[in-house]
Amino acid sequence: MRKLQAALVVAVLTMVAIGLSSCGGSSGKEGGTLTGSYASFPELDPALSYDQEGWTAMYDTYLPLLTYKHAGGDEGAEIVPALAASLPKVTNGGKTYTLTLRKGLKYSDGTPVKASDFAATVERLFKVNSPGSPFYEGIVGAEEFAKTKSGGISGITTDDNSGKIEIELTQPRGTFTDELAMLFVALLPPGTPAKNLTTEPPPATGPYKIVNVEPGKGWSYVRNPQWAKSNDKAIPEVPSGHVDKIDISLVRNSATQVNEIERNQKNWMQTLVPADQYAKVKSKYEGSQFRVEHSISTYFFWLNTEEAPFDDVKLRQAVNYAVDSAALERIYAGSLAASHQILPEGMPGHETFNLYPHDMAKAKKLFAEANPSDRNITVWTDNESPNDKAGAYYAGVLNELGFNAKLKTINADNYFGIIGNLSTPDLDTGWADWFQDYPHPNDFFQPLLDGESIAPTYNTNTARMNDPKLNAKIARLGEEQLGPQQEKEYAQLDREFMEQAPWAPYGSNTLSTFVDSEIDLEKVIFNPTMGQDLTSFQFK
Amino acid sequence: MEGRSPWYLAYRRLRRNRIALAAAGLFVAILLFVLAAPLWADQVAHTTPNANHTLEKVEARGETREVVNPEGKPVGPLWLDAGGRFFLGADGTLGRDEMVRLMYGGRVSLLIGFSATLLATLLATVLGLLAGYYRGWTDAAISRTLDVIWSFPVTLLAISLGLALAVGGLRIGPLHLSGSSIWIPILIIGFVYTPYLARPIRGQVLSLREQEFVEAAVAQGAGPLRVMFGELLPNLASTLIVFFALGVANNMLLEATLSFLGVGVQPPNASWGSMIGGGFELITTAPLLTVIPGAMILLTVLSVNVFGEGLRDALDPKSKVLLEAHAGTPEPRGTPV
Amino acid sequence: MSRFVIRRIVGTVLVLFAVSVIVFTIFNVIPDSNPAQSMAGKNATPTLVASIEKEWGFNDPLPQQYVTMMRKVFTGDLISYEGREDVDERILEGIPATFSLCIGAAVIWMFFAILFGYLSARKPGGLLDRVLTVVSVTGISIPEFWLAAVFLNYLAYKLGLFPSGGYVPLTEDPLQWAYHLILPWTTLSILYIGLYSRVLRSNMLDVLGEDYVRTARAKGLSPGQVMTRHVLRNSLAPIVTLFGLDFGALLGGAIVVEYIFNLNGIGLYTFESLINQDLPPVIAVVLFGAFFIVLFNALVDLFYAFLDPRVKLGSSPQ
Repeated sequence: MRKLQAALVVAVLTMVAIGLSSCGGSSGKEGGTLTGSYASFPELDPALSYDQEGWTAMYDTYLPLLTYKHAGGDEGAEIVPALAASLPKVTNGGKTYTLTLRKGLKYSDGTPVKASDFAATVERLFKVNSPGSPFYEGIVGAEEFAKTKSGGISGITTDDNSGKIEIELTQPRGTFTDELAMLFVALLPPGTPAKNLTTEPPPATGPYKIVNVEPGKGWSYVRNPQWAKSNDKAIPEVPSGHVDKIDISLVRNSATQVNEIERNQKNWMQTLVPADQYAKVKSKYEGSQFRVEHSISTYFFWLNTEEAPFDDVKLRQAVNYAVDSAALERIYAGSLAASHQILPEGMPGHETFNLYPHDMAKAKKLFAEANPSDRNITVWTDNESPNDKAGAYYAGVLNELGFNAKLKTINADNYFGIIGNLSTPDLDTGWADWFQDYPHPNDFFQPLLDGESIAPTYNTNTARMNDPKLNAKIARLGEEQLGPQQEKEYAQLDREFMEQAPWAPYGSNTLSTFVDSEIDLEKVIFNPTMGQDLTSFQFK
Repeated sequence: MEGRSPWYLAYRRLRRNRIALAAAGLFVAILLFVLAAPLWADQVAHTTPNANHTLEKVEARGETREVVNPEGKPVGPLWLDAGGRFFLGADGTLGRDEMVRLMYGGRVSLLIGFSATLLATLLATVLGLLAGYYRGWTDAAISRTLDVIWSFPVTLLAISLGLALAVGGLRIGPLHLSGSSIWIPILIIGFVYTPYLARPIRGQVLSLREQEFVEAAVAQGAGPLRVMFGELLPNLASTLIVFFALGVANNMLLEATLSFLGVGVQPPNASWGSMIGGGFELITTAPLLTVIPGAMILLTVLSVNVFGEGLRDALDPKSKVLLEAHAGTPEPRGTPV
Repeated sequence: MSRFVIRRIVGTVLVLFAVSVIVFTIFNVIPDSNPAQSMAGKNATPTLVASIEKEWGFNDPLPQQYVTMMRKVFTGDLISYEGREDVDERILEGIPATFSLCIGAAVIWMFFAILFGYLSARKPGGLLDRVLTVVSVTGISIPEFWLAAVFLNYLAYKLGLFPSGGYVPLTEDPLQWAYHLILPWTTLSILYIGLYSRVLRSNMLDVLGEDYVRTARAKGLSPGQVMTRHVLRNSLAPIVTLFGLDFGALLGGAIVVEYIFNLNGIGLYTFESLINQDLPPVIAVVLFGAFFIVLFNALVDLFYAFLDPRVKLGSSPQ
């Protein structure tokens, strides 16, 4: 009898304990003011911002018709409806996209959100000459509008009563769903001035709104009153956020940013922990305050496939065997995740493989077989650390292989313009990177490896890859909607390109989430496209 | 009483100035240090200044050390533990031998400092002579031009030119310099420094030309060139020597600043300034990479400055001509506009 | 006097004009520099680039572009290429940090320079003189940016004695304002202390040899009184002129110190704009800086003429 009583007491106590701990674990503190720091001041106008800093800042303030799921990792690439009621209906062979605006949505100033606001938003994109406008040039009438800036865009038809939005494209475009989730087309009221509104933010549709913008110093967020009143219930896919207020300061020195987090003077830094502190911060805080995040990007060395000596595939493969990611990992001091293919991890369609595991002996053998007559080559790189060192390392490797490589370092601001200009002499090989615009493989293949993309200036296909069969495949896959079948085909395409070895890819950029001890690191969501999700920050 | 030439007297005065001689000795020691670069690189370090050793290991006192550890931290000074290899450690994630780069970088820094100053002195002398001798419109034109360059915040002008030229190099007619050529910083610094020499020189020429020996030469039928280069120039000589010495000091500092900011000597080449720039990125983990090249600049510039002052004292102990050892302070007399 | 002022004003305008033309030209001859392309982003299409060129007038003839840009400088409409910011606002924003840095450093260096120069000249060749000479010559031989980096690493990062950078506005917290500026002030002052103390010492020694000083001694004034009342006062003139010119040049922004200590001033803004090849801010800061240089040049001349009536305003110097 005693034993049973004892067992019961233990059981009850255990259950109580479990109940208590789960109670404490699942809830954190609600409310509070989050303090954060940025190293550079982003543009806070959704139509103009084209970097991760700006997207992170506005992910939870301005909502497009669709958005990226508020999750990290592969899940974060999923597109979910935001201001639209559901994902678009794609008809007419992929040329017509139809969506319906949810009912009852309001901007932070109380104005109701209407379907025609979408047309006005896209028009504003062209009026301000946004760097995002090329994504929407495929809409019927858009190019006309881009040139004349008047007369509306004929391909967009909307009905404010039913909330229906219909978009006609000139050609089928498989990436358009992703493009509808970009901040460029976050809905703004009609009549929003066609100029940079960083200092006077337009009305918000998301859970937070931006206030008190002081250029060069910082800005703040408060809860959007209309979110709780009108939009929250209508949009279950977007969380409401835990903290009540967010204050962002501009701290241009990343070492100071790290210092402040360590001393609990700020809760979060948006910037990547700088290279010389990375190892120290990682070993001290990983798991408690620091987490490595992956960006969807590829660093690579391009090889000019059109001219000697790299028109010979054997030499290109030799280069791939010669490059050693172990060295590059050291050069990037931790902010590199090694890879050896076109599509980075996190991109739908990525399947890890390595056709050319490092083997200097094999590389030299291939080099000897190819026996190039022209061994004087120029290696290009930009002057931003550590890319400049990656370039210097690469030149050293090529010399070891048997080339006579000369390194040319160009100011980062001019770099892509110079290597993208086909009339620049001696464009043999060099460093480059590409960060995704959205998690769709076409965003990599088309600009970088499609023969059709080769242009005399502003050329992004630096390898000058032009294989008609592969070009056709890119074009076809680009028109289809992205599904499991397409992802498999993209993985196959990745392999087919690497067999031709137009590049020696070496990895992708890793970013970091670094918070102070007051913030619950586990709760912080890092969306691979949009960055840290402000609604996920919660005090312990 | 036997007349002694002023040069001999100056020499005697200099010899008695022990501090100046010590400075000269220090400078010579530094010069020998950098001249020994190929010897050290070849015989002791067995590498070149730009060779990367990222994945290599080195034997030091029986221990195997990685030149660059997986987190990107370069090995610290090994002194003689590895037979002189990586004497001062590795310079960063590329694993280059810091000592070798220090020696080769010194050659670049000294070369640029001297050449730029030589260029500026030549240019300034010619301009100063022309402006001071001819006066009138020539003077007005030259002085106005110098004023414009002078009004530029110096570093800003040098940085702008550095950016412009380091990208595409310089192309004037048949002359073509690549962006990474060492001539680019030499030309930029020489050009930017010229007004700071030209002004005082012009001032001196103006006062010299009123003196009797010039009148005498003209009366004897000497043409302008004879007067300028035959009479005036020799009298400027002592001033020029002092200016040159102090100018080298200034220009080495200017080159260091430009290279530190990335618009002077271009990678992969090294100069002491660019090495400080590279070291700055790793300052918390490997501070010596910043401290040592800077200390070299300090010692070199110090020795040149001290010797320059000694020269000035020796050549003209009562000289009022004050050229401050940094670009940005002109001769403190009235400025014409 | 009015002739002097008019000549100076005309001269100033001409110089600023020339300076702006030079900067404009330099940036427009950088090969492969295409601001429209940078603004269009990595997915640029010919349509977009063409629209941007039209919006910003990049296809207009260069003289016209120059005139438009200069007009915007003065009307306050100047927008930068990078980030499309209002340039004049950014410059105003940077003034507190830069002026705090420069004025504070100036006070410090003048104080110490005069002190050291005076102490050196009192007993030339003595121990104090020798020590101060070493300090001074070392001061002018140190690379400023290196000293800043060394201070930052050892005193701020490692020992935590000073903050590791950043600017705190005076109005926000005077104590923190000063605390954050101590290292930058020291770095900036060391060079000028070295320079000025040497000049002062040299001038004082010259003055000490003059007749009127011997007269003063003969009249029975003590050496101390002689030094302060006559020698020091008469030696200060060249220092003040040097100061005027150096300070004027510094107001344009101490680029390197601001960069290393992360002071949000005009120098840092200048450097960022230069690296980004962002022409509008560069022209604005160059004009800003050149203006002060020219202004202080004029003030120095005025002061010199005031001191020494023999020097006629605007006449050629001796």
